[in-house]
Amino acid sequence: MSSKEDILKRYRANVKEQFDMPDLSDIAGVTYPDPLLQFINMTKSVGGNAIEVAKGRDINEIIRELYPEAKEIASNLSEVTIATRNPDNVSQASDLNGTDVGIIRGEFGVAENACIWIPQTMKEKAVMFISENLVILLPKSQIVNNMHEAYRRIEFNNYGYGTFISGPSKTADIAQVLVMGAQAARSATVLLLDDSDL
Amino acid sequence: MSTQHSKAAKAFLKNQTYAHWHDATFWAVRTKRDNMAYGLDEWEQLREKASQIKRHTITHLDKYLDQFATAAERNGCEVHWAKDAKEFNEIVFGILKNHNVKKMVKSKSMLTEECGMNPYLEAKGIEVVETDLGERIIQLKGQAPSHIVMPAIHLSHDDVGELFEEKGISNEKGNHDPTYLTYRARLSLRNEFLTADAGMTGANFGIAETGDIVVCTNEGNADMSTSCPKLHIAAIGLEKIIPNYDCLAVFQRMLCRAGTGQPTTTYTSHFRKARPTADHMHIILVDNGRSEWIGNPQHWEVLKCIRCGSCMNTCPVYRRSGGYSYSYFIPGPIGINLGMLRNPQQHSGNVSACTLCLSCQTVCPVKLNLGDQIYQWRQQLDDFGTANPQKKLMCKGMSMVYGSPGIYNLGTSLAHWANYIPSPLMNCSLNPWAEGHKMMEFPKKPFHKMIKDYE
Repeated sequence: MSSKEDILKRYRANVKEQFDMPDLSDIAGVTYPDPLLQFINMTKSVGGNAIEVAKGRDINEIIRELYPEAKEIASNLSEVTIATRNPDNVSQASDLNGTDVGIIRGEFGVAENACIWIPQTMKEKAVMFISENLVILLPKSQIVNNMHEAYRRIEFNNYGYGTFISGPSKTADIAQVLVMGAQAARSATVLLLDDSDL
Repeated sequence: MSTQHSKAAKAFLKNQTYAHWHDATFWAVRTKRDNMAYGLDEWEQLREKASQIKRHTITHLDKYLDQFATAAERNGCEVHWAKDAKEFNEIVFGILKNHNVKKMVKSKSMLTEECGMNPYLEAKGIEVVETDLGERIIQLKGQAPSHIVMPAIHLSHDDVGELFEEKGISNEKGNHDPTYLTYRARLSLRNEFLTADAGMTGANFGIAETGDIVVCTNEGNADMSTSCPKLHIAAIGLEKIIPNYDCLAVFQRMLCRAGTGQPTTTYTSHFRKARPTADHMHIILVDNGRSEWIGNPQHWEVLKCIRCGSCMNTCPVYRRSGGYSYSYFIPGPIGINLGMLRNPQQHSGNVSACTLCLSCQTVCPVKLNLGDQIYQWRQQLDDFGTANPQKKLMCKGMSMVYGSPGIYNLGTSLAHWANYIPSPLMNCSLNPWAEGHKMMEFPKKPFHKMIKDYE
C-alpha cells in the first residue's frame, strides 16, 4: 500500500463525528469611510511609506528624488526608464543581488492591514525581496477594505506565484527589539497613482 | 512531588531579572494582541467561524487532502506523502540527493523540528541553514526553540552579540545593538541564500481548491529561500489544509493579530509552482500521528491549531517558566497537549504546568479548549502509569476524610493543635506543602462552626 493510501485509510477509520462547513457569507468584515486614507495610515504604521503622486508627474523623477544615491535600479516595467537591470533578462536570480531599488507593480491594496497583492509578473521574483529598497506602484483607486474582499479578487497568471506585501521586511528576534530590514527589503514605498497615469 | 516541569522552572526562575523581563515581554505581546482583537468588531465572529471551519476541515481531511494533492499536481508540483518522521526525512533526503544538493536554506518550520530533519540531513552531509533570524541564532548556538514564533526569546542581545562575535558574523566587538546585529545577520544570510542549492519552506496553510502553499513571514526569508535556489521543497502537516480562499481570509486576518499583535505579517506568499528557472516544486504532506489523533475522542480538536503562539504568550505559567521548562519541543498550553498526544509517558510532567485559568482558550483564535484538555489529561495519568504515587495516596486519604463526616469534623476541630508544632519540624523538606509556601495557621474553630455561631 502506498503511504497516501495508508494515511487516508487510517484517517477514515479513525475520524468520528463530522461537522458541517459554516456559512461564511455573513462575516461582517471591517469597512472604512475612506479606504485610501486608512491604507495610507496603515502603511505608515507597518513601517512603510505611501506617497500620493500628483497627476501627470513622472515616477522616475520621484524615485530619483527618494533614492538619490541609488546606483542599481531593477524593474521590468515599461514606464520605469531609470532601470539599470531587468528581472526578465538576468541570467540567474542571484544577479539581482546588490539592487538598490526594485520597482514592481501591485494590483490592489487592502485598507485594514496595508497588504498589497503582487502577482509575479517577471521571470525572477527575487527582485521583490532581494532589493535593498522596494517601490510598489499602485493605482490609488484599487483599495479594498479587508482580506475577505481581497481573497475574492486575487488572480494568478502562469508564473503561479503571488504575495501580499505589507511594509518592509522586519524582525524582533533579537530581544524583541523591532528592526526593519531582516532578510528582504529594508524599506518599502508605495507610490499611489492616479488612474489616468496608468 | 515536583514534576519535571516545576523542577526545570525553578532553574529558570533563578535569574529573577531575566524571569521578570520574560514575563513582561510576553504580557506586552498579549496586550498588543488585545488591541488588535478589540480593534475589530467582528473578532469574536471570526473566532467562531475559524473554529467551525477547522472542525469541518479536519473531520473531512481525506476529501480535502485529495483535492489539494490533485490541484497541486495539476499546477506542476510533485506531491509526496509521509506516514511518519522517518519517511519524511527519507523523502527530503531522496529529493536533495537527486538534485545533488550540498546546501539547503530553510524558513521556519515546526514540522521539521518535530521530525528531527536537520540532524538527520546533517548526518548525511547536507548543510542546512535556518534563515529566520531567531531560528538561525539558536541553530548557531546549538539550541532548540523556546517559543514557536519567537524561538530565540531566551537569549539577550548580549548573548546574541557574543555568539555573532564568536561565529565571525559581526566584526565590531562589543557592539550588541539589535539593529547592528540584525544587519550583520542579514549580510551573512544573504550569502547563504545566493549559494544554496535548495530552499525549504514550511506552510501556514495549504489551499485544497487551488493547491497553493501559503507561507506567512515578517522577514521575507521564505521568499528569499525560494527566489534564488533551483529547488523548492515545502513541508506541510496534514491538518494545515483548508478548503479555499474564503476560509484563508478568516485565518490570515487572525494568525498574526493573535500571535504577535500585528495586523498582518509583512509577507503572505502563495506558491503554486516553481519559478520558470527552477526545477519543479515538491510538496511533502506529513502525517506523523495526525491520522491517529483525529480518533481521540477528547483530544482530536488539537488538530485545529494554527500555531500562532498566543496561548504561550498569555499563559501565566509559560511566561514565568520559559520554553525550556517543558519536555516537549513545543511549550505552553498547545505544547502540553501535543506532547501528551505524541507520548504521554514521556511528557506527563508538563500537565502540571497549568493553573487552569483558561486564559489560553479565551485568546485562542480557533477556540481550542486547551486548558480543559489539560485537565482531562490529568485525569488519565493513572492509565498512563505516570500518576505521582504520593499524590495518589493523598487523594485516597482525602476521599476517606471528606467521605466520612465523623473523621472530617474531628480533623477540623483538632487541626489548630498543629500550630504548636515547632516551625523547623513543619517547614521542612518532609512537608511538600512547605516548599514555596509558608505553612498556614489553622483557626481554633472550623469554618462551619464559626458560621453556626455567627447565626
